[in-house]
Amino acid sequence: MRPTVITVLLAAALGGCVSQSMSIRSLPAQDPAAENAAAAESAAAFAAAAATANTAASDSGQVGGGTEQTLPPVTPADAPSMVTYDPWERINRFTYRFNARFDEAIFLPVANTYRRIPSPLRAGVHNFFGNLSEVDSVVNYTLQWRLKLGARSLGRFVINSTLGIGGLFDVAAKLKLPGMPTGLSSTLAKWGMHPGPYLVIPLLGPSTLRDGLGYLGDYATSYAVDVAKLYRGDVSWGLGVVNAVDQRSNVNFRYYATGSPFEYENIRFLYVRKRLIEDEGLRAKDPKKGAQSTTQQENASGEPAGK
Amino acid sequence: MRWSNTRSAPPSGIRRALVHLALAALASWSSIARSAVFPTQGVEPAPPGATQATAASQAVPVIAAPAAPGPAAGLADSAALRATIFGTPAQNMAPMPNRVPLAEINIELPWKRPVPDVFWFDRKLRVWFSAQDKPAPLAIVISGTGSDGNTAKLSVLRGALYGAGYHVLTMPSPTFPGFIVSTSSTGVAGDLMQDGQDLYAAMQQIIEHLPREVKITDIDVLGYSLGGANAAIVKSIDARAGKLKIHRAVMIEPPVSLFSSIGRLDKLFALSVGTGDDAIDGLYRQLYAELANLYRASDRIEIDEDFILEAAATVLKTDAEFSAAIALSFRIDLVNVFFAGDLYAGTGVVVDPKHPPKVSDSLDETQRILRNKPFSEYFTKVFAPYYLKRRPNTTAAGLIADNRLDIIRDALQNDPDYYAQANSDDLILDKQELTWLRTTLGSKIAVYDHGGHLGNIGERRQVSDMLDMLGGRWTGVAR
Repeated sequence: MRPTVITVLLAAALGGCVSQSMSIRSLPAQDPAAENAAAAESAAAFAAAAATANTAASDSGQVGGGTEQTLPPVTPADAPSMVTYDPWERINRFTYRFNARFDEAIFLPVANTYRRIPSPLRAGVHNFFGNLSEVDSVVNYTLQWRLKLGARSLGRFVINSTLGIGGLFDVAAKLKLPGMPTGLSSTLAKWGMHPGPYLVIPLLGPSTLRDGLGYLGDYATSYAVDVAKLYRGDVSWGLGVVNAVDQRSNVNFRYYATGSPFEYENIRFLYVRKRLIEDEGLRAKDPKKGAQSTTQQENASGEPAGK
Repeated sequence: MRWSNTRSAPPSGIRRALVHLALAALASWSSIARSAVFPTQGVEPAPPGATQATAASQAVPVIAAPAAPGPAAGLADSAALRATIFGTPAQNMAPMPNRVPLAEINIELPWKRPVPDVFWFDRKLRVWFSAQDKPAPLAIVISGTGSDGNTAKLSVLRGALYGAGYHVLTMPSPTFPGFIVSTSSTGVAGDLMQDGQDLYAAMQQIIEHLPREVKITDIDVLGYSLGGANAAIVKSIDARAGKLKIHRAVMIEPPVSLFSSIGRLDKLFALSVGTGDDAIDGLYRQLYAELANLYRASDRIEIDEDFILEAAATVLKTDAEFSAAIALSFRIDLVNVFFAGDLYAGTGVVVDPKHPPKVSDSLDETQRILRNKPFSEYFTKVFAPYYLKRRPNTTAAGLIADNRLDIIRDALQNDPDYYAQANSDDLILDKQELTWLRTTLGSKIAVYDHGGHLGNIGERRQVSDMLDMLGGRWTGVAR
């Protein structure tokens, strides 16, 4: 009987271990048939998109012919150094290990249990928190002087809070207004602030000084606006926990799944490069300020990336 | 995280942090290459000739960098490289079941050596198990070079095997750092017989500790790439030791000689990437610029999973780029094996045996040095010194010979329960090695015309042949 085996495995998992040396933890079942169907679908969509893009490119005679491409393209010489600015490396490494242990012992098991809840319910929770974050997006798009996007976020917030029953349903996305969240870190980048030193934040994970300030600022904004008294009311603590679990359950990452002793270096490298490329994108959308990109400045001064 | 010590909740912020973490992981140095080399099945941009871009690149096949003239640095043709990179297209996949239960097993092995500080997270061996709800045969699947026991390729094989009624146990490669630290009795990975013995011992421990409700009627082993060779060796060890009574072994696209296969990958790296710091820096800068421009041209707010997959398909277009991605993926695995080997063997190439690195020490410099080192250096500076000291009667040439499937040639030839699947355009095999496999295994091998290295795993024919072999129904190619 299948249920028997599952019950046994589950019981073993709850019991912690079958024996002292071996532990069995049951995971959510896989559905390879559905995964395959989804992969086939996305491959077809991808092929269609590629065909369209090719037609468009040949029509305009320019690959990726965006109208905002007034900046010279990024050349290999513009790329930041492979070395990342990490003056707080010792403490960062310590924090990284703490995060890995916390995640393995508490955060991930809780998130895995949460994943057993039927997905429509989880989607509701996810949409609810996504909707709350629109407040930050409205504020920050305004600070970035991208008012159209700010209005869009505001529109999404209004639509989803009403038609979407307090944000449980993402009605706006169905009306062709998918979410495009932003935050203080992007605003600071837009204003020309560099990422600064690499920073591993306890429980949150990889970040930079600028991104860290961004999190604090975003939280302060939410706290100040205090939508429906969710941030200062009695439920705020519980809500924070649910939010954290929701976010963790949507993130397919496991500390040290690579088994590699260089995981700290690898994650740092990729995190900072990802943020620098995103900064390039932000600047490209504002040609006046983008004339000199972050990476170009860095290279000119010969300093490591991320500084 | 503020909510842990105040009464207030910060619903925003956490999300972005975690999403960043996930993307860092997704794109993680290893998985960037791996998602390029082994992406979710079927993200190949377009079938050949379907779009103008592909048609153009077909018409002018060699837009490769000067370093890599001709197709695939002479190791494989364009189609083989594409298959290796993009895997089996989703529409060609064998039918899969809708539900595969999965459990993760962590086991501390009794012969575990002291765990070095920098490997604190690899204390236990981690494997994955899918149990049938009735008595069933057990299929043990071993992963490929440098990989853990839950890769995308293993998921595909697990689905196919579970669907066919097997309990499925998937295990990491003996070259995966987690295996080297938790399970290897030497710490110096890559010796077929030694790794086979460690795998075999670990299998016994795991099976012994499975819940009693799991009824196993028979045991078969299989593996892909290096794991295929490992599987055959494990069966040959069991044939003498008799502890598990392993019935059949199926090698999916195995190497014939470890060192010649990896030598080919060294060559691929040298030809497609180059040698020295400048070469890797150049590749990185090129990738950075391409990604930055792609990202600028897109409407995206954030670099996400879709962007990375799209970018992999957009950035990788020429044979030289395919070759570089494949070579890089193996090099990233080698860096880990090299580091662990040097640390355990005390050979002092990058790790000072008297002052091994601690958790808080930076490994930047170590990593920079290691990523320039080819496999041949692992052999000459770590592997050979370590094993020659312990096997005084052998030579370096002897070690190389010991790492050929020749060591179990008689069994492969005469025992009807060894099978293999191979591709004639596999870039880890040369013509002679393929011929050796054909002649040695006779009718017990299926050779496919196309698939590159592992580019047809999960494909209908591969899966049905594999199941026929495991079930003893295989009657040779001329069915």
